[in-house]
Amino acid sequence: MKIICLIKFVPDVENFKYDYERNVLVRENVRMILNPDDACSVALALKVKEQQPGTVIEVVTMAPQSIIPQLEDLLRLNVDRAVLISDKVYVGSDTYVTGRILGRYLSEASFDCILAGTHTLDGDTSHVPSQVAELLGLSQMSNVVEIDEAVFCRERAVVLADEEFTYAKYEITLPAVISLRKDRKYKLPYIRYEDLSRDVKDRIRIIDNEELGFVQEEVGIVGSLTQISSTFVKSMEKKERLIVRNDEEGMNQVYSFLMERGFV
Amino acid sequence: MKKVLIYYDQKQHKNSIELLAVARMIYGDDSTGKEGIEDYETYGASFGSIGEEAEGLFDFLIEVGNDSAQHGKRAKVFNHEQGPKTLNHEYGKDHLPVYDALYMTSVLDELQQEYRFDCILFPATHMGRMLAPRLAMRLQTGLVADVTDIRHKDGVMEIVRPAFSGKLMAGILSRTAPLMMSVRQNVFFYEPDSLGETRRINHTPKTVCTGEIRLLEVREKEASKDIRDSDVLISGGGGVMKDFKKLSELASELNALVSASRKTVDNGIAPRSIQVGQSGKTVSPKLYMALGINGSIQHIEGLKNVEYMISVNTNKNAPICSISDIVVEGDAKEFITKLTEKIRKEKQI
Ligand SMILES: Cc1cc2nc3c(=O)[nH]c(=O)nc-3n(C[C@H](O)[C@H](O)[C@H](O)COP(=O)(O)OP(=O)(O)OC[C@H]3O[C@@H](n4cnc5c(N)ncnc54)[C@H](O)[C@@H]3O)c2cc1C
Ligand SMILES: Nc1ncnc2c1ncn2[C@@H]1O[C@H](COP(=O)(O)O)[C@@H](O)[C@H]1O
Repeated sequence: MKIICLIKFVPDVENFKYDYERNVLVRENVRMILNPDDACSVALALKVKEQQPGTVIEVVTMAPQSIIPQLEDLLRLNVDRAVLISDKVYVGSDTYVTGRILGRYLSEASFDCILAGTHTLDGDTSHVPSQVAELLGLSQMSNVVEIDEAVFCRERAVVLADEEFTYAKYEITLPAVISLRKDRKYKLPYIRYEDLSRDVKDRIRIIDNEELGFVQEEVGIVGSLTQISSTFVKSMEKKERLIVRNDEEGMNQVYSFLMERGFV
Repeated sequence: MKKVLIYYDQKQHKNSIELLAVARMIYGDDSTGKEGIEDYETYGASFGSIGEEAEGLFDFLIEVGNDSAQHGKRAKVFNHEQGPKTLNHEYGKDHLPVYDALYMTSVLDELQQEYRFDCILFPATHMGRMLAPRLAMRLQTGLVADVTDIRHKDGVMEIVRPAFSGKLMAGILSRTAPLMMSVRQNVFFYEPDSLGETRRINHTPKTVCTGEIRLLEVREKEASKDIRDSDVLISGGGGVMKDFKKLSELASELNALVSASRKTVDNGIAPRSIQVGQSGKTVSPKLYMALGINGSIQHIEGLKNVEYMISVNTNKNAPICSISDIVVEGDAKEFITKLTEKIRKEKQI
């Protein structure tokens, strides 16, 4: 079975700083990490490969070439191939354009199943997997937290989706696009010590626009159908506040506040 | 006359109806800075029939009928209290495969070809978030996700959504038609000026479902109450992680539900279903008590129209404190014990 994982490297937003004085995002020295949902999909694919040794795993990402070291680390984890779609003209593409670029590569690629993430930490639109599926004419399911490895094969997958009020189990005919959501079950292993500096460059394929052949006006910022026109920080409305302590007087004040407003 | 299509998610009535407020902000409301109000009509489209809830609110309700939808085996449905049932009313209602986004997109596309909507809105529910991007790709139009506000400036409409994990808000222009968005749940509230007449239209799809996705089983989540429905929330964060269970003592005295920050959820202390914030739920209680919560932007993002806020924090300068009515400077666990005792004592008097 061949599995393609669509992955994205995102800024480690937890450690992202915003400079409120200058109204800009401090992007220097921000580490790029594999998007958590995508790390789950790669971990799942690796688990399947362990159980079904013939499995081939390819990771596909559209990103600048600077993320090659991160791709190399994934290849050191038993991922077979990495495809990096990278071209200056793609910079600034919105999800519609990103979907089309990935879709064009995937329409020529062979696979039994495409795994993706449900959300990314930076874009967080969850558009890309659905849009890729639409272009390829495939079914797609989001918020999947489990794939039944025992019956996962070229023909079908049985998945569990965490929908808002229910868990639903579906059987999906493959090929299809399955978007995973971060779950403790799937964790990327560490790179084995002896593999830490293994040379894996020959397993990375870089694809540029010459190969995919988009007209420049179709991609990047100019080709995008949505455009960011402004960014701003939400200002919090400050309140006249009363500061008290955990002592008797404080409790009395909290209690009367609650009583006056009918909460007790 | 502008035409607005709203995808009516049968599982989330309230979040579907809310979108009428967004339609009003786009076309018919000058409070958003818009110059000149436009005439518009609203169409709700649902898979299966819609009950009373939407009557009088939409101008039209398009109910996609079941004639050509083919459906194979029925799914087993489990319910916590009653054990297995055969068919859940929420799922496969009228035998429609209401989980097959490919099929549903084709049907929505049929509607678009017939009615030529100027604007298509989806609630950002599980299904809405799968359908909107597919349909946008099919119609080759731009899509803005998780919209939280609409602004008009100098005759240009800006669609607002959180960016960079909620650290920033972004104003977005959509350059193509129809205008499409998915809308963050529980951010907008719809108050009709008056109830009108709703005309019901039955739509029999031409598309045949190929059955690539089959529903095998549905398990209802443990019957926990929805934090979005509670007037009072006792919310715990990093500062009360060790004593999280204690929150329910205070909650039961105040007839409240317990909610949480993401920190507690990530640490496996609270379930995701009670997380407040950008990647959790948006809540609008009358009273929000934030115990040991710092008040990151992503957390505050989940608080809309909270009337009163009390925060308890060892650090009185934590961001949450600046938006609170009362700040209790001190240990949250101690606060819970003391306030619970106080309320119990007062009750006996
Ligand atoms: C993409 C993204 C999405 C996110 N979405 C959400 C979201 O939906 N919801 C959310 O909540 N967060 C979200 N976050 C995380 C958010 O940035 C914060 O990390 C998180 O809210 C912190 O939780 P906290 O305030 O409970 O914990 P902490 O940051 O650990 O703060 C603990 C607070 O408790 C106080 N404290 C410590 N000890 C005590 C004590 N004994 N008694 C009283 N007070 C005490 C401290 O002074 C501090 O203010 C998101 C982050 C990202 C990157
Ligand atoms: N540039 C990209 N390259 C490869 N996959 C992507 C890219 N952007 C998004 N994806 C995939 O789409 C998922 C959802 O991303 P998003 O639509 O940005 O929320 C991610 O988890 C990835 O699986």
